[in-house]
Amino acid sequence: MTGKQKKQFWNLIQTTLILIAMFIMLVPIIWIFLAAFKTHVDVYQLKLFFTPTLENFATVFDDPYRLGEKLVNSTIVALVSVVIAIPIATLAAYSFSRFSMRGETMMLVIILATQFVPAVVIILPFFVMFRDIGLLDTRLGLILVNLAIVMPFAIWMIKGFIDGIPMDTEEAAMVDGSSRLQVIRNIVLPMAAPGLVTSAIFCFIIAWNEFLFALILTNKNAVTLPIGLALFKGEEGDLWNLLSAAGIIIMAPMFVLALMIRKYFVQGMTMGAVR
Amino acid sequence: MAEIKLKNLTKRWGDFVGVDDQSLDIADKEFLVLLGPSGCGKTTTMRMIAGLEEPTGGEIWIGDRMVNDDLPKDRDVAMVFQNYGLYPHMTIFENIAYPLRVRGVDKADIPERVQKAAEQVELTQFLDRKPKALSGGQRQRVALARAIVRTPKVFLMDEPLSNLDAKLRVTMRAELKHLSRELQITTVYVTHDQIEAMTLADRVAIMKHGVIQQLGTPDDIYNDPANLFVAGFIGSPAMNLINGSVQDGMFVTTGGTRLVKVNTPDRAAAILGVRADDMQVHEQGQGDIDVTIYAFENTGESTLLTVQWGKQRVIARGDRHLRKDQGDVVGISLNSDHLYLFDPETENRIGM
Repeated sequence: MTGKQKKQFWNLIQTTLILIAMFIMLVPIIWIFLAAFKTHVDVYQLKLFFTPTLENFATVFDDPYRLGEKLVNSTIVALVSVVIAIPIATLAAYSFSRFSMRGETMMLVIILATQFVPAVVIILPFFVMFRDIGLLDTRLGLILVNLAIVMPFAIWMIKGFIDGIPMDTEEAAMVDGSSRLQVIRNIVLPMAAPGLVTSAIFCFIIAWNEFLFALILTNKNAVTLPIGLALFKGEEGDLWNLLSAAGIIIMAPMFVLALMIRKYFVQGMTMGAVR
Repeated sequence: MAEIKLKNLTKRWGDFVGVDDQSLDIADKEFLVLLGPSGCGKTTTMRMIAGLEEPTGGEIWIGDRMVNDDLPKDRDVAMVFQNYGLYPHMTIFENIAYPLRVRGVDKADIPERVQKAAEQVELTQFLDRKPKALSGGQRQRVALARAIVRTPKVFLMDEPLSNLDAKLRVTMRAELKHLSRELQITTVYVTHDQIEAMTLADRVAIMKHGVIQQLGTPDDIYNDPANLFVAGFIGSPAMNLINGSVQDGMFVTTGGTRLVKVNTPDRAAAILGVRADDMQVHEQGQGDIDVTIYAFENTGESTLLTVQWGKQRVIARGDRHLRKDQGDVVGISLNSDHLYLFDPETENRIGM
């Protein structure tokens, strides 16, 4: 083989491998996309050509499923969690990154360790506490739980981004006449912006997909989308066409956010601050 | 306009002493260079003046105000950083304007003042670019412009030229000198480059292990070094240091050569310091002593002869037209007006 042929051959192998990987990952999603537009009868037949219908999307928002309420709950819980978590996490991350505190490493490790505790272990205490103070089946309760879940993650992630900002730049701003808060507002936040957006999106995804706590801590008023999926059981078994339609509604924001993250990830971090 | 007074300034991190009980008076409008090898405490001293590092002990005065407890922003200083410390998300204009904005200068005055500062460092055509679009030298000018856009009491410069390539460094050095004469503002300048120190400074403070070894004009420290460290640090090539003793008013090398008359009582051990420029190279037999050339280097503007002198090697500077080769024997004589004697124990200069 000549060099050119060799290169083409390798390109072919690369492309094939990527296609295989994509196929494995995408098959369930494709299946859901197809099922969402099928009638109940068509779902169980693996045919690719059928008359598509939007009826499933109408049905899931209707009685008795009322997915709209769950969509509102999910959106509020995820959004509010992120809006509260990111500013607090940013300040915490800045402190961890720039000040030396007694027991700093210990605190960071403890914060990280909370992520290793299996959710099922702490779900019972949450249930009992929330029952006693009346937070069971409320959005506020879910927001608190989600904060506990996403905050450690956000702190670690944002700390990484802030660590990447050169100290010189901040010190220059301080000598130039800024207070610490002005440094954070005028220098750190703009420079860490891609990191903050990325962290916010990750946190949103985690909160949006959170299942276990929502399952145990809600039953009627504060039910979120992932729990709502469990509603689609009929006497004749799972209603796959409705499940798929609801699944698409859950996934849609994720696709949009994934595209946004990609853009921010590519963006350079320090952008020529040094040398 | 302000003088700076450091009183018994100390900085420790645990057992490590960064700056050890140093006092220093810097006059109004003076250009003072802190010079020393890395880790000598020069940058720490400057950062304490800026308020970026908290002293363990001692006092810092700027003008008639003790600033120990003042935040950096309240000390009215401007600083140029080694890595420039530019704001990458702002344009050059906004970078230079930042000190004015954050100090609440009237918005209408800002464009004019930025323009003036940019003119002084020849940056006017780059004002709408971002720092990443600029070269290293241009970024350093932005940092300078940001410092001179206000009239601070004190300029602090932390190795501002050390990230530039050699040629640019020489150009920027001259520009800095010109600018500092024009602005007439008290300046503290940190560097490990003796040429920068010699050329820019009104006075130089040479530091080692957190202690100022000598404080004086460039002439003082070059011609009248206080101790072995200063003698060896200043000058290129470094001052030759020859081990020996003083017997009957003569300096005798450890090899036993009676070298040169010195005006000092006899002592068992002494180090003779002599600069390459203070030795004359002659033909064999015509100098004080004959030596064999270990290496002959032609630098263009002069020649450097490394000669084997007993067990030691010594560098002498020869005429630019001199041509010799290694192994040749030449005569060397010492200029007795520019000889220095040091005590090997205390490393201090001995009067003679």
